[in-house]
Amino acid sequence: MQLGLSLGLVGVVAGSLAALASPAAAGTVVGRLELPPAPERGPVIAKGFVDRIENPLAEIKKPTLAPYLIVVLEGDARPAAPAQVNWDLVGESFARPVIGVPVGAEVVIKNQTKIPRTIGAAEDPRLITGPLNPTGAKSFRATEPAVYTVGDKDAPHLKGKIVVVATAHVASVDDAGRFEMTDVPDGSYKLRVYFYDPIAEAHGKRSDWLAFTTDVNVASKGKSNRTDVNVKLPALTAAPAAPGKK
Amino acid sequence: MFWSKIWLFLITLAAAAGLTVALVLPRPAQRAMVRAEANRLQTACSVIHILLADDARNRVDLVGAFAREPDIMNALEAASGVERLDEARMKQVRDVGDTVMKKIQGNRKPDFAMLIDRRGRVVARVRLDDNDFGDIASGRPLIDDALAGYLRDDVWAQKGTMYFVSAAPVVKQGAYAGAVVLGHQVTNQLAEKLVTSLEVDMGFHLGADGVAGSKTIAFDHAPMQSAIARLGPDLATDCQVVHPIDVHTGADDYTALVARLPGEAAVKQAYYSVIIKRPDAAGFVGTLKAIKDSDLSFGNFPWLLVGAAFLVVLGLGIGLSYLEVDHPLRRLTGDAVRLAKGDGERLREDVHGGKFGSIARSVNIHIDKLGRDARSAKKDLDQLLGPAPEGSLGTIDLLATSLPSVRPGGPAPAVPPPPSDFRFSDSGSQPSYKPPPRSAPPPRPGTPPPFRAVSTPVAPPSPPAPPPGVTLPPDQFASRAPLTLDEDILGRATRDLAPPVDPYFKQIFDQFVSMKKSCNEPIAGLVYERFAEKLIKNRDDLMLKTGCREVRFTVYVKDGKAALKATPVKDEA
Repeated sequence: MQLGLSLGLVGVVAGSLAALASPAAAGTVVGRLELPPAPERGPVIAKGFVDRIENPLAEIKKPTLAPYLIVVLEGDARPAAPAQVNWDLVGESFARPVIGVPVGAEVVIKNQTKIPRTIGAAEDPRLITGPLNPTGAKSFRATEPAVYTVGDKDAPHLKGKIVVVATAHVASVDDAGRFEMTDVPDGSYKLRVYFYDPIAEAHGKRSDWLAFTTDVNVASKGKSNRTDVNVKLPALTAAPAAPGKK
Repeated sequence: MFWSKIWLFLITLAAAAGLTVALVLPRPAQRAMVRAEANRLQTACSVIHILLADDARNRVDLVGAFAREPDIMNALEAASGVERLDEARMKQVRDVGDTVMKKIQGNRKPDFAMLIDRRGRVVARVRLDDNDFGDIASGRPLIDDALAGYLRDDVWAQKGTMYFVSAAPVVKQGAYAGAVVLGHQVTNQLAEKLVTSLEVDMGFHLGADGVAGSKTIAFDHAPMQSAIARLGPDLATDCQVVHPIDVHTGADDYTALVARLPGEAAVKQAYYSVIIKRPDAAGFVGTLKAIKDSDLSFGNFPWLLVGAAFLVVLGLGIGLSYLEVDHPLRRLTGDAVRLAKGDGERLREDVHGGKFGSIARSVNIHIDKLGRDARSAKKDLDQLLGPAPEGSLGTIDLLATSLPSVRPGGPAPAVPPPPSDFRFSDSGSQPSYKPPPRSAPPPRPGTPPPFRAVSTPVAPPSPPAPPPGVTLPPDQFASRAPLTLDEDILGRATRDLAPPVDPYFKQIFDQFVSMKKSCNEPIAGLVYERFAEKLIKNRDDLMLKTGCREVRFTVYVKDGKAALKATPVKDEA
């Protein structure tokens, strides 16, 4: 389910950006992040009366990191005016725990459940106000690079990150670490990865951009305008400052 | 009296101390009771926490068994493989779940079940929102852990209802097929069951709302919420660190202890309370009311000790009272009786101590005063009658009766009092005074005749008395040498003319002669005329001096000899 949702979201973002693409030569950036080994599961959250017990029939699943990563290409060109970015609330979680939103895009949060929610952004309480009714939606326009933590105070487990970036080239990552960006104009870019680490945040740390960049040169070559990028992620530690807040 | 007062002070002090203790003693008992209540609440709170943890283990075991049901495994494995869940699949899986739930035995049957595929989608719900399906349940810590392979429990709060939930992964042939969640609603029956043997009441709360309880009580939740807000991060120690709080409901007061519930519901301020009705304050009256008959039985109360102490205190009080009051008073009374009987002339001051000695001294002082007055009167009489030597006619004794304290007819005439050292023998050497002439009192019926009737021919009128402070020359009274009574009566009997016979004086004379005879005294030369003349003169002088209206003479025996006593008779009218 998560894989399908993530790919769909990637498609939505890519489609939105394609409509804004300039008539200049553009290509597709296809990449794969070589994910580091998944960490052990974090301590129990919302512990009950007794400690959790490992089942004796199968090995405990390790957490998947891919849904918590977004990839952006930052270039010198000014980003085009983005379209709408949808972020669905699909139950007790968002469709993806973290999404990248270009500056100027309208973020639409849709409640696909029958449960009313009261969501808000921790960093800016005025960003989203009022209840999010069942099948209803809340939207806001991202005006500048920022990171918003959206959640429901009545459901602490319901949290997600909206990363507003100053580029139109943003993509999510599937469980295998693959990502794809279409209509990327020719040029030199820096690839950066944002990692939302809810376990670290539960311990008072903050999620941030990974402390590495990779140069990506996009050059259309006739019919083959695909640029492949393979990146081996370092250890998942966040950078001291987010690039959107330069 | 000193020790009696000390003893009274000590008893009063002991009584005051006892009263103070009686009033103060319930307070430590009240504090002890409050501490005992707090301990009882803490114990009950901890026991409830243990019971809830035990219940959670049982529920985890139950959901583990539920997840191992083959029908459940097959249904969820099949659902996990489809891209889109439809209603038919939901109903098929729901029926499977309901069938499995019906097979659960025991009194802790779950109230609902959720069947979740490996993607985190809710395939079916059983007995709660059972028409809802397809939503993503992953994201809740309980379900995320179950999908990851853990069995665990949690507390959920949904739509004002609290559920104890447990989840387990569904594993088929070593691969995860999904997870199941079982929920047990928190009900009044559960609360009642938890406190069955604790003799307390309890309630489950969500913020300001009561969810369930062993007793239907409308609480004021504010103090409990305030107590919850002050607790630290560790929920497991709530029962030990929280302080009892007072809660009110209607006319009843309760003492409550609150402890947070774990899990998701904690963010919605889920907690449970343990309550007991606060006993009435154990004041003095409350303590008395709480006394039972058995408390006063010989086995529980030291009656012998109390009785012995009472007797000792009472005995000491009586003893001191006897030694310091009764005995001295009895001694003084006896002394007074002895004085009244004439066995003594004074109270014995040396044998009476304290106030009684003071009384004795005061009485003696008065006796001395009376004695001085009597001696003064006697000297006056001696002055009038002349000294009465031993062995002569007798003694005219005026001490046998008291003189009137207030002179009838007005104040005494202004005459100098007789000198205190006046004696029979030296009366002639002392300046004699002449009482001022005064008219004789009118005769009284049945009384001796007045002076005038018998004395007129005897005594010439005396010269007027000198004014106070004026001393007469010795030769003025030296010519009237005093005579003894016998000499007056016997020696001069033949020289004077006999006065008329007065029946009263004749009667006295006869008694006197008879008494002398009976005392074997000589009566030779004893003649009535001289006797009566002397008595009349003495009576007249005595009446003038004392202001009495008449004088009664009495014959009696003193020291074996006949004696004559003159008694001034005051006005009896």
